[in-house]
Amino acid sequence: MKLLKPTWVNHNGKPIFSVDIHPDGTKFATGGQGQDSGKVVIWNMSPVLQEDDEKDENVPKMLCQMDNHLACVNCVRWSNGGMYLASGGDDKLIMVWKRATYIGPSTVFGSGGKLANVEQWRCVSILRSHSGDVMDVAWSPHDAWLASCSVDNTVVIWNAVKFPEILATLRGHSGLVKGLTWDPVGKYIASQADDRSLKVWRTLDWQLETSITKPFDEKFNPKIFKKKQKNGSSAKPSCPYCCCAVGSKDRSLSVWLTCLKRPLVVIHELFDKSIMDISWTLNGLGILVCSMDGSVAFLDFSQDELGDPLSEEEKSRIHQSTYGKSLAIMTEAQLSTAVIENPEMLQYQRRQQQLDRQGPTARDAGPAARDTGSASSVAGVVNGESLEDIRKNLLKKQVETRTADGRRRITPLCIAQLDTGDFSTAFFNSIPLSGSLAGPMLSSHSGPQLLPLDPGTPIPFSSSKPSTEPAAGTRPVGDAASKDGVNTATAPTTPSPSVLTTPSKIEPMKAFDSRFTERSKATPGTPALASTTPTAAERLREQSLVKELRPRDVLESSSDSDEKAPAAKPSSLPKRKLELEGEAVEKKKKGRPRKDARLLPMSLSMQSPAALTAEKDTVCVSVPAPALKLPMPGPQRAFTLQVSSDPSMYIEVENEVTAGGGLKLSRLKCSREGKEWETVLPGRILTAAGSGDVVCVACEKRMLSVFSACGRRLLPPILLPSPISTLHCTGPYVMALTAAATLSVWDVHRQEVVVKEESLHSILAGSNMTVSQVLLTQHGIPVMNLSDGKAYCFSPSLSAWNLVSDKQDSLAQCADFRSSLPPQDAMLCSGPLAIVQGRASTSGRQAARLFSVPHVVQQETTLAYLESQVAAALTLRSSHEYRHWLLLYARYLVNEGFEYRLREICKDLLGPVHTSTGSQWESTVVGLRKRDLLKELLPVIGQNLRFQRLFTECQEQLDLLRDK
Amino acid sequence: MAKVSVLNVAVLENPSPFHSPFRFEISFECNEALADDLEWKIIYVGSAESEEFDQILDSVLVGPVPAGRHMFVFQADAPNPSLIPETDAVGVTVVLITCTYHGQEFIRVGYYVNNEYLSPELRENPPLKPDFSQLQRNILASNPRVTRFHINWDNNMDRLEAIENQDSSLGCGLPLSCTPIKGLGLPSCIPGLLPENSMDCI
Repeated sequence: MKLLKPTWVNHNGKPIFSVDIHPDGTKFATGGQGQDSGKVVIWNMSPVLQEDDEKDENVPKMLCQMDNHLACVNCVRWSNGGMYLASGGDDKLIMVWKRATYIGPSTVFGSGGKLANVEQWRCVSILRSHSGDVMDVAWSPHDAWLASCSVDNTVVIWNAVKFPEILATLRGHSGLVKGLTWDPVGKYIASQADDRSLKVWRTLDWQLETSITKPFDEKFNPKIFKKKQKNGSSAKPSCPYCCCAVGSKDRSLSVWLTCLKRPLVVIHELFDKSIMDISWTLNGLGILVCSMDGSVAFLDFSQDELGDPLSEEEKSRIHQSTYGKSLAIMTEAQLSTAVIENPEMLQYQRRQQQLDRQGPTARDAGPAARDTGSASSVAGVVNGESLEDIRKNLLKKQVETRTADGRRRITPLCIAQLDTGDFSTAFFNSIPLSGSLAGPMLSSHSGPQLLPLDPGTPIPFSSSKPSTEPAAGTRPVGDAASKDGVNTATAPTTPSPSVLTTPSKIEPMKAFDSRFTERSKATPGTPALASTTPTAAERLREQSLVKELRPRDVLESSSDSDEKAPAAKPSSLPKRKLELEGEAVEKKKKGRPRKDARLLPMSLSMQSPAALTAEKDTVCVSVPAPALKLPMPGPQRAFTLQVSSDPSMYIEVENEVTAGGGLKLSRLKCSREGKEWETVLPGRILTAAGSGDVVCVACEKRMLSVFSACGRRLLPPILLPSPISTLHCTGPYVMALTAAATLSVWDVHRQEVVVKEESLHSILAGSNMTVSQVLLTQHGIPVMNLSDGKAYCFSPSLSAWNLVSDKQDSLAQCADFRSSLPPQDAMLCSGPLAIVQGRASTSGRQAARLFSVPHVVQQETTLAYLESQVAAALTLRSSHEYRHWLLLYARYLVNEGFEYRLREICKDLLGPVHTSTGSQWESTVVGLRKRDLLKELLPVIGQNLRFQRLFTECQEQLDLLRDK
Repeated sequence: MAKVSVLNVAVLENPSPFHSPFRFEISFECNEALADDLEWKIIYVGSAESEEFDQILDSVLVGPVPAGRHMFVFQADAPNPSLIPETDAVGVTVVLITCTYHGQEFIRVGYYVNNEYLSPELRENPPLKPDFSQLQRNILASNPRVTRFHINWDNNMDRLEAIENQDSSLGCGLPLSCTPIKGLGLPSCIPGLLPENSMDCI
């Protein structure tokens, strides 16, 4: 046995509470106390294992450190796949980390640049539930669950596929829960607590299986950290035995073999303080031990000492005979008894296994030293422009706008996107880097009238400063320091002489110390509430701030309802809309115009005029309102509108431009990427919309004009059946929603109608219902989001309204298809359906709550839900989403073993193999080739050996078709 | 955990004449798209003696902020000399860059600033009334002092979810009058507001 204490593994002398070796053995993590925070550090393993690497300065020792925990970190654990690291600490939080590969090394700003992070580990989830310190975390064998335990006496099971969803909270311990472990097949989880009991819970229903209290004798050793190792077998053909290492508070470490009655080895005096955690290496021959004294030791055993480990198969056989098969986890091992009938299938299964094995290593565990080079080179270039070039012109290029209340707003330049795939990418917000950056971008609310203050001049700070409190609170420290001039420990900074020429200047600098560390008390110019310290003075100020804000709201809302007065139900309808749009209004006030032209909140067309028209005209629209249902845009002199998601394209409208001789015209200006065009119209322009292809405006007298992207008129004015309510463009499609609640969609390129004056009466059945959002897909399909949470699209081919989303849909709430979600792109599907349905995250949560629902019911609801999703995506002609949901549906069918439906899908996708003239079969669906879809489905089908005949059939026929 | 971490602040055009604008190139990283804008401020400390002489040179909103690394240049006019006590015009002071989210300050970057006459004559015999046009401003860029504060980032989210779980007929939004006092009355946000300082300095 060799023993090594790598001194470079430390937390600057602070205690290390946990250590865990990455499953691929290339790195390990430590967790413990940091400077004023908890600390997690990821270290390179090779300098521990090889002396050469330890001496080689090019081999990094520390790979990444994370100071994000607010208090001491008690445990760090790698997921079995090695993709994630979970850490739990005294701050009651569990953080889940994932490696981000998009960027090169970084330093911790303000730390003097010494600590370069070779690898970038990002916190992808923060799990909050525990009300006390988190003591231990453990990943289930299949990485689908993460368990955590805490001093709040509970164990929480998290859905690792869908953080931060909680699957179960296990209550029953009467003392703090100190440790957790899963059985090797994931059928049980054991928790050990201060109440001198060990409880075993079933993963099937998360109920208590058994509670073991007898053998507990914790008199001298309250902290036993045990780590079961893999089964090893002795050289002689005897029983397999386990190897177990025990570290204890008496600072000794002992390694036990279950075949021996006394420990294999006991090491005393290895550390100055208690042993806190132990982690075995991959081959089972080495252990890392960490201690409260802040050091780490590595023990390396030889095979002679521990015996030969069993192979994985032998191990899993023992596991299965001991624990049985887990019902909750479907592993391929269970199917291993099935006979594989054809070589294709065999090959596929083998490939799959190989992939699974290579997967984690290839993806995220490459040797650190090697991939830093490539990563940094990636980071250095953005869209072909080097970072240096970008920086040179950043000030000129960066987009700066004014918000509605006149504040400066800068759109930051995105220099790297996160690639971890766990984030729902901001499809509408992120600013594309290339080209368009130079173009100007105007906020759609750039009205100069409402400027409350001019940010160009310094703001007098005294406006909202609390009177005496800060002077009394913070000054004395500085004053005292500056007066006596004694070097106190609070001023560790020695400024460089280049700046500070006279030594006398150093003394007053101490006076600034509090300025660096204390939050500013004066926060004028903030519409939001500054609420840092709950002192009376602050409270007072906040209250006054709130009071200040309120009148403005009233003003806005009242002018708002004025605007809507022409609408049919002046009292109830606008009020309700106001409530609905509460959020939108607030966003706007904070200076965030909504940019997503694809999903246009009605509030934009209604309220932005309201906010703008301080110089509102007295002239009203002279159109009589016959049984109006929808609100109309009010008249206004001028407005600006951002078009599509392209920030550089916007439309400006100026009404009542005097053209001489008493004539009044309206001017329409459109700017795209710096190129402008302009045209005039005879009537007053009420509303405008644009897409990448067309620009359209609705004028008074129900006229709708359409222009090409370059300003050429495409059609003579279209006479609308009633005044316009909302106008919208996507691609070549123009959608007009009139105040009489009729909807029309035209394809202006083909000059034909897509939807002809379709009434919304059928979907706006209830009297209180309004359209809350409208959407026009790329294929010209209009979608109406209603205030009751339902969304309908109008299918031109069926000439009918189809329900595509319902927020109260009980199917969506009961459906549970998490097991079928592909791990990576679970959240990544975007498109009209996703927009309409909003965040789908609630479904799983509900499903977890309804755990008691019989499996059959859940199956049925899930199937029904998935089918409706596939159908909705099809109706919306969203190919991307159709594919996503179809694959998900198929995967669910495969997992649950529904052969008939699966077969029907395959049959339709395959079509007739031998061409027959009478066939009605279409080879494509929403622009996707059906047979390509089938090819994608095949690997999914192949996952379940039960469907191997179907797999073979499809495979053979596809081959046949290919050969033809 | 902070959703936004500042990666770097580069001080541009330093040293420079007193009257030229401040320019900081700020790089930051956001690990989750932010629902609202960040607010950045440059505060010039006019005098060590009292916070009363602080000048907020400018404040900007920065957004939208999707997940990823971002940078921008924050430019602000030089401080107003008439608001600086004459005795503090020459010498060392501090400029602070702060960032707030939902009105909560979560990072404060401070630099020492030295204002000095360029010409040796003026340096020897400084005029009684400071001549700001002759002053050169030098920011000690190599030594930023960074203080991070723990704030509640999820205020909004918690609320949204709370709304979702309510009766869905009400769940579409809140009455307008409630919106500006977001979070104030919620006890859930109070713990997040306790300053848990962590200071990273040399």
